[in-house]
Amino acid sequence: MVTFWNLTEAVMNGNEARVREIVSEALKNKVPVKDILNDGLIGAMNIVGVKFKNCELFIPEVLKAARAMKAGIEVIRPLFEKSGVQPLGKVVIGTVKGDLHDIGKNLVVLMVEGSGFEVVDLGVDVPPEKFVEGVKKNGASICMMSALLTTTMPAMRETIDALKKAGLGGKVKTMVGGAPVTQKFAEDIGADGYGSNAAAAVDVAKTLITD
Amino acid sequence: MFRSNYRVNRTTQFRVLSDDQIEDIHLAVLEVLERTGIKVHSEEALAVYKKAGAKLNGDRVRIPSYLVEEAVRRAPHRVALCNRDGSRTVLLEDNKIYYGTGSDCPSIRDSFTGELRRFLKKDIEDAARISDFLPNIDFHMSLGLMSDVPTETYFRHQYVAMLRNCTKPIVFTSADKVCLADIIEIASANAGGLDELQKNPTLCLYAEPSSPLNHSKNAIEKLLLAAEKRIPVIYTPCPIAGATAPMTLAGALVISVADSLSGLVAAQFHAPGAPFIMGGVLSTMDMASTIYTYGSPEFSLLEAALTDLSHFYKLPMFSTAGCSDSKIFDEQAAAESMMSILASALSGANLIHDVGYLENGLIGSYEMLVASDEFIAMAKHFVKGVEVNQETLAVDIIDKVGPGGNFVSETHTDRHFREVEWFPKLMDRQNLSNWELSGSKTMRQRVNERVREILSTHQVEPLRDETERTIERIFKKYGEKI
Repeated sequence: MVTFWNLTEAVMNGNEARVREIVSEALKNKVPVKDILNDGLIGAMNIVGVKFKNCELFIPEVLKAARAMKAGIEVIRPLFEKSGVQPLGKVVIGTVKGDLHDIGKNLVVLMVEGSGFEVVDLGVDVPPEKFVEGVKKNGASICMMSALLTTTMPAMRETIDALKKAGLGGKVKTMVGGAPVTQKFAEDIGADGYGSNAAAAVDVAKTLITD
Repeated sequence: MFRSNYRVNRTTQFRVLSDDQIEDIHLAVLEVLERTGIKVHSEEALAVYKKAGAKLNGDRVRIPSYLVEEAVRRAPHRVALCNRDGSRTVLLEDNKIYYGTGSDCPSIRDSFTGELRRFLKKDIEDAARISDFLPNIDFHMSLGLMSDVPTETYFRHQYVAMLRNCTKPIVFTSADKVCLADIIEIASANAGGLDELQKNPTLCLYAEPSSPLNHSKNAIEKLLLAAEKRIPVIYTPCPIAGATAPMTLAGALVISVADSLSGLVAAQFHAPGAPFIMGGVLSTMDMASTIYTYGSPEFSLLEAALTDLSHFYKLPMFSTAGCSDSKIFDEQAAAESMMSILASALSGANLIHDVGYLENGLIGSYEMLVASDEFIAMAKHFVKGVEVNQETLAVDIIDKVGPGGNFVSETHTDRHFREVEWFPKLMDRQNLSNWELSGSKTMRQRVNERVREILSTHQVEPLRDETERTIERIFKKYGEKI
């Protein structure tokens, strides 16, 4: 009988080997894949997220936990299709055209993945056309854009316009983030959401897909 | 009285790193540049490194130690920066300290309405005038990013706004080398020719490699052009310990020095003797909020340690102080500003920038700038140290006054009180009743009043016709009237 608090502890301690062990054990005991994923692994990352917001856990610990959680996911991933497990949603993310900064974006990828989304990372210096292509190809429900430079922020507006022009306006929600980006800027350019940091991005993403 | 072998601390003495620690860091830098190398995203720069004798592998450049040490040897130990009229006011050498503002904050907290808004051209002009006025500000950087001028010619607008409204040396930013060439042309016109500008430079370029060990096309090509034109250039990174540099302080220092010195190699082999300034903004990524902190104690510590290294290399040091993570000029801002200002003064950094920065460089504040001008005066007064001699020991005066006497009306007291005491202009020392009678004002209120006063009274002499004509001609090239 698997106790998910064991799994939570192993994830929070970043113990990849233990996480794989517990997940394999759970599968042997016929625990449903859906439960292992949602209650076990995603559940653990949700607790990590709350602790991070309360300053009980810090970024390096969150990253360790995310890696351990991912190790657990890799064990059950081959069984997803058979069990009818779906991600919360598909997210396409990238740093906009002209901008090479990606540390913040990479944190967002890890935390959004850790909360149950499937994330396609387009990398850096991503022009509007590539965002459009990425959203179309992956059937993404959210498009996230990151920028560190004030000079590249206009590319966010261009990307949102390009998505509208490609007829994806109603189909994909847009989110923006990055040090110089603000809530007001997000509203001005017609983005659906603004993430003030990686943890906030997860919360906003979750509200956007239930809209 | 005759004596020998007498040593004096003429000022306070402060070091973070010992000579041996500095040597270790230096050796680590050499190892990193030789073993790991750098990435250079410019064909022009790659050619310079190749010709100098570095080992290339595509855009990866590994620099043999002897090239780094030769580059350091070639670089001038001192750089002089000048006022608009050519007078040499800022001597970047040894432990001489000079303070100035920072560049390009997107937002400003309006001193009249309290509103947080985008910077406008008028604000950049105001900021320049405030720097021009303040007695403890020695050079100027834009403080803000104007939101109401064309993007294509942005940096030219910014330089002109600063040049028209501030007579102190200007540290400026530039989009690329084309823009840099235009700005040099304007500065040359003001100086009376490029030759005159090189002799007495009124401006200094700020360019930044991308830590770790990564030189973008724009940054390194601006460096090469500035070196060629003998315009002083600050080529310094902003390594984030824990993100773009190792978490540990020594490792972050290694990246900082490696990023600057790898640029120095290109500059010195392209144009030997080109004036070059090392240093940077060096701080940690706060692992709770994920911001790059401008107010933490480790930030001040890193800047001071980097300054020790700059003294070892005998290169002028670009440091950072007078800034904060607070979003408004409040108690946090004042505390963080005072700490970094004192640390930089103690360490003997040369060109100390970002005075006036709030929210880790996202908000520019006149209140922070004006208050910090006062903090700088306090720090300088502290660093002045203690003079010990017959006059100051005052043994004869002590004897004259005798036990239970007082010194207030002594000629000795009258002779010395002005140099011993520092008198604040903004900090309040009145007794309670007088303070209440004058309105029970907080520091923030007094600072704000001062800001408004400076803005409404301080004027700067206009530029010469020749300079304005050059400015007009340059903007006409881009179809603009200025």
